[in-house]
Amino acid sequence: MSQLIISVGREFGSGGRVIAENLAKRFNIPIYDRHLITEIATKTGLTAGEIEKYNEMPASRLVSRRVRGFSNSIEDNIAEMQFDFLRKKAESGESFVVLGRCSESKLSDFESLVSIFVTGDTDKKIERVMKVYEMSEDEAKSFIIKKDKKRKRYHNYHVGMHWGDSRLYDLTINSSKLGIEGTVDILEKYVRARMK
Amino acid sequence: MAAASIFAVIIFVAMFLMIVLDKIERHIVTLGCGALTLIVVFGICMRSGKAILGTLALGDFFKKDFWYQVTESESKGVNWATILFIAGMMVMVEGMAKAGFFRWLCMKIAYMVKCKTIPIFITFMIMSAVLSMFIDSITVIMFLAAVTIELAQLLKFNPVPMILSEIFCANLGGSATMCGDPPNIIVGTSLGFSFFDFLTNTGLIAGICLIVSVVFFYFVFRKEIVTEGGKDVDMSKFPNPSEAITNKKDFITSCIIFGMAVILLVSHSATHLTVASIGLFIAVVTLITSGKDALNLLKKVDYKTLLFFIGLFIVVGGLEETGILEYIAQFIESISHGNVMLMIAIILWISAIASAFVDNIPFAATMVPVIQSLAATSGVDISTLAWALSIGTDIGGSATPIGASANVVGTSVAAKNGYPIGWGKYCAKLAPATVIVLALSTAYIFVRYL
Repeated sequence: MSQLIISVGREFGSGGRVIAENLAKRFNIPIYDRHLITEIATKTGLTAGEIEKYNEMPASRLVSRRVRGFSNSIEDNIAEMQFDFLRKKAESGESFVVLGRCSESKLSDFESLVSIFVTGDTDKKIERVMKVYEMSEDEAKSFIIKKDKKRKRYHNYHVGMHWGDSRLYDLTINSSKLGIEGTVDILEKYVRARMK
Repeated sequence: MAAASIFAVIIFVAMFLMIVLDKIERHIVTLGCGALTLIVVFGICMRSGKAILGTLALGDFFKKDFWYQVTESESKGVNWATILFIAGMMVMVEGMAKAGFFRWLCMKIAYMVKCKTIPIFITFMIMSAVLSMFIDSITVIMFLAAVTIELAQLLKFNPVPMILSEIFCANLGGSATMCGDPPNIIVGTSLGFSFFDFLTNTGLIAGICLIVSVVFFYFVFRKEIVTEGGKDVDMSKFPNPSEAITNKKDFITSCIIFGMAVILLVSHSATHLTVASIGLFIAVVTLITSGKDALNLLKKVDYKTLLFFIGLFIVVGGLEETGILEYIAQFIESISHGNVMLMIAIILWISAIASAFVDNIPFAATMVPVIQSLAATSGVDISTLAWALSIGTDIGGSATPIGASANVVGTSVAAKNGYPIGWGKYCAKLAPATVIVLALSTAYIFVRYL
């Protein structure tokens, strides 16, 4: 397999981002996450902060409409730009890791795609969020709920199937069982097996 | 009958809510609600086969009046003339777009005004209004906005003010004729008005409003529509308009067919050909002349919109048959205390406010029987109420980004190209313009018809 695209979906607090970054390092390929925001910022003339506001957000059905495939929601258009960007990268034959952005479904027609969903035990996720974001237990709990709710809404809005549904991914893994490094090791083995 | 009325209202309200929430495709919503109306309201509650047949109105196809109409007549139930006409125009527009007509026209006009931003701004507004008199505003804005962005990138100016003005003028132009905006086709075919009736009534209003709008937008946007650093335009960089034409033969054919459509529409009160005949004729001619591509053109027709119309007419038929719309008419009459001015103002402004937030097509389809009933009971001329309804539904939609299809398409094309237009930016300029134009239209209707 000359091209490799690794899509990483993740629950908030599961360490999915770090896992994706480590995978990118191990395979020596770029990772697309925040880079997509910078890319769109240069293309649109919007600031990164403005794009962040609409990033991975579903459109509100009450204040936007869709006519013959045209949507006037800024959230929709920013999402479409990200999907287009990823598609073009994939079509160009480039190998990369992508975090979220419904990439497991949007790039599902590429044979080189390996899609992974990282989940975690609730207590471990809370622990991690408390440490990384310096939050209390309650704050971390509600922050996780809020973030996951947003990701779920965004995903389900753009993809017919449910976020985190194992049928959408090649592999779903609980990062709490082996820790970040252990999980990356397993995933690396799996990806290398897929590459043969 | 009480149960039938209750179910008819529940189905209608549910349909409207589902259209607004946009979770299920709107043609599935209206067809589903249409089926419920036929089964529950007409079948179970009313046990009336006559109501079912009357609402489906399939017999219309076999009436001479449907194709060739000497005297004006009103229609009830599914308005097949509207559906056939829109389908015909869709086929024609697909043929024109394929030949490169719209892109060529935009480029040609920009070329003729030597790519100077202010003249492009003014001519594009006028072109948007004129094209929308005959062609659906979605297509007009789709091409106009795309070319505007192309020009903006080439000439280095901000395309947003121009796109906003084009959207507004497309909606305004649509109000000028019977075929410009779906509510007008519904009003015209349901109440038996001709293309000429619209042109000499709503057309005049739209014409006056267009002048006012051009002046308004010029003053509002004149500082924003300047090239970077006020540089002169290098015409050598500008693409040749003829490059837009994909096939010369197809291009000439599509121009001839478009010309024929315009002539047939303008003269249909003299030729007595109905809009259904014109739509069918134009579609057949386009398909015959496109030869091998006929199937592709047919595939591109937006069947979902046509199905949406069929379902919608059935649901509104449910309200009509159960007498609900008469209650609404009586309500309008009672709150206006028989004051014609107030009645017209209510129809125009309520239609406008509703159309700014919800789809104006179901609203117009619902209001047509209401104004029919209102005219019958209050003695007010139906045509005056019809013009108020048309103007309100067509122009009111301009006020918000979700009010009309042209707004959605225009702002979407802008956003896709890196110029997102939020509610604030949109409403700051277009809502005041809408209010000015509606106030002017109300005054015109008062002076001319009362």
